Amino acid sequence: MTVGMSFNQLSEDEKMTHFLDRINAGEKIEPDDWMPEDYRLQLIRLISMHGISEIMGALPEKEWVPKAPSLHRKLAIMAKVQDEMGHGQLLLRVAEDLMAPLGKNRHDIMEDLFSGKLKFHNVFHMDAPTWGDAGIIAWLVDGAAIISQSMMLDSSYGPYARALKRICAEEVFHAQHGESIILAMAEGTPEQREMLQDSLNRWWESLIMFFGPKSAKETGNSNADKNIMYKIRTKTNEDLRQEFFTKYIPRIWSLGLTIPDDTIRFDEDSQMWIYKDADWSKFKQIVSGNGPQSQNRLDLRRRSYKNNEWVRAALAAKKAI
Amino acid sequence: MTQETLKPQEKKALIELLYQLADDDFLLAFRGSEWLGLAPHIEEDVAFSSISQDMMGHANLYYNLLEILGEGEADRIAHLRSPNQFRNAIILEEVNGPGTYLKEPDYDWAFTVVRNYFYAVHKHIRLDSLRHSSYEPLAEAARKIMTEQYYHLMHWEIWFKQLMTSTDEATLRMTAAIQKVWKDFGGVLTLGPYYEDIVKANFIDDENVMKKRWNNKIEAVLKEVGASYPGEPRMERGNGRNGVHTEDLKQATSTLSEVYATNPATGW
Amino acid sequence: MNESTNEFYNVYEVFSKKTDKSPFQHSFSLLAPNADMALIMAKENFFRRETVADIWVVKRENIRGLNQDEREMLKRLDKQYRETKGYGYLKKKWRDYNQEQFTEQHILGGRGDNS
Repeated sequence: MTVGMSFNQLSEDEKMTHFLDRINAGEKIEPDDWMPEDYRLQLIRLISMHGISEIMGALPEKEWVPKAPSLHRKLAIMAKVQDEMGHGQLLLRVAEDLMAPLGKNRHDIMEDLFSGKLKFHNVFHMDAPTWGDAGIIAWLVDGAAIISQSMMLDSSYGPYARALKRICAEEVFHAQHGESIILAMAEGTPEQREMLQDSLNRWWESLIMFFGPKSAKETGNSNADKNIMYKIRTKTNEDLRQEFFTKYIPRIWSLGLTIPDDTIRFDEDSQMWIYKDADWSKFKQIVSGNGPQSQNRLDLRRRSYKNNEWVRAALAAKKAI
Repeated sequence: MTQETLKPQEKKALIELLYQLADDDFLLAFRGSEWLGLAPHIEEDVAFSSISQDMMGHANLYYNLLEILGEGEADRIAHLRSPNQFRNAIILEEVNGPGTYLKEPDYDWAFTVVRNYFYAVHKHIRLDSLRHSSYEPLAEAARKIMTEQYYHLMHWEIWFKQLMTSTDEATLRMTAAIQKVWKDFGGVLTLGPYYEDIVKANFIDDENVMKKRWNNKIEAVLKEVGASYPGEPRMERGNGRNGVHTEDLKQATSTLSEVYATNPATGW
Repeated sequence: MNESTNEFYNVYEVFSKKTDKSPFQHSFSLLAPNADMALIMAKENFFRRETVADIWVVKRENIRGLNQDEREMLKRLDKQYRETKGYGYLKKKWRDYNQEQFTEQHILGGRGDNS
């Protein structure tokens, strides 16, 4: 930048160059900093989906909160679901600050969710019919989430990186909570082991889908590539999925559980896991709101938001007095 | 007093009291946990959940005292008793509203605020008395629990006062909720059939003394927010301290024990 | 007026002290209709695990910060005359008088020796 010249006097191109220089130098972008519109939109898209997925993600596990099979488990899963809501809070705040210049706030995020415009993560559209699912979600779904979130700990957008730092710290508790549940079942009665295996079977394809398709050609969008350019994220979907396999497959096998994919193996030559890919057309169906629990969970959230509108209206009016 | 110096009659009364304390917190914590993900505001969802966890933790402390007194394992006590063995007040087992937490929950936030606030006021008074309980393990538990109770009281008091003094709609809903809670809140304020033995052994203050403290406090708060005091709270549906309960408790206990009951021996 | 424009979703910045002796630090923000609500929510949204000695909530619109342009005013040249590194030559001076130069500890402790 020209010495003595105000930033506001720079041309758009110069601002863009300055912005990319900052990103490439590892500097963090803050909410009030100049940013290209495209960067803002990418962040809003990514972070509002991440945030709302945490909120929707509370719902499948919440089914098991009152039913958790001991006082200790009840407390632990309540704390875990609470954390999910808390993560949603942190992330939505980040997204809301990015949206503020566009004249939008949390209410718009909720409306976008209800209208289907804002999608949430594929895993939270699925059924969780047994306590084994509570275990598999906490162990493997959260395990997958930790992998994709920790990749973004060094995100170029400062508020996102800071929120993720706090989230990841809490995810360590979630992972152990999940391990504790699944180990108790794996070491329990034959019925308990069977319940656990059933849950793994039920969740495996969703876990493959968790990281998204290998490349843009499966879904026809290239947001992942763009986010790498902006240093919002650093790895591809497939990098993350391979990392997940390396981390968890040996553990799953060590417990004597079976992965419902008889082709899965580690290929020494390519140093990659070979596996049966997910059905990506099914994925598209699920995230568009046609998963087994999509509408039911949306109804829970919509209903609670609408039923309690009077509460927010009351306090909004109170403030104005 | 300690476990060793309790006379049989005192022990019986103490066990009754502990079931009241434990079951009150346990049931209201359960009703609170059903709200998870459904509160009027995300930030409030998180705050409310902490309170539900705290209360379930308090119930756990009391169940552990019962375990020491020979009532069986805490988890077994919490999960495997039949509804008529529960000693909680009826108003605390009542559902949050139409629907269930899994399907079409049309929960009533005004009812939740009123019930929790009235309970928090009473719990504070009760703990204040229990801190000086003649049964030392109970006094110690009460002192621990009291540290978390300040926040609960502050939280619900702010909610109660703000909603009572906001829009006409909120005032209407809150007033209806007060009337609803009032019909059965008397059940929280009673010590039940073993009342005389409980008080004689100095486990806790006389229920009439505590009732008066509660009435005074609530009357003052109602006056502050411009509402009228509806007279002594009642016990229209019976006394939960006697094991009298509603269908709502049956539904609650079957949900709470659904998984545990399939395999209590091995554990989960 | 709908919920996009009403006064429920106000941004509050949350600050906290870890212990009595620590300074206040910023820790995230939340949406609340007023300061009392912001306080009771802040406690469990941000301090449900770690201990905390005090909490402040401040409505964001009451904070005057700097924009990217204004942050230019934070830059400056070296000013050795008001920093200790500008006074390194004193050590040698005192040695000429057979005296050790006071360290920071000496100066702040008000004592002329290390014993």
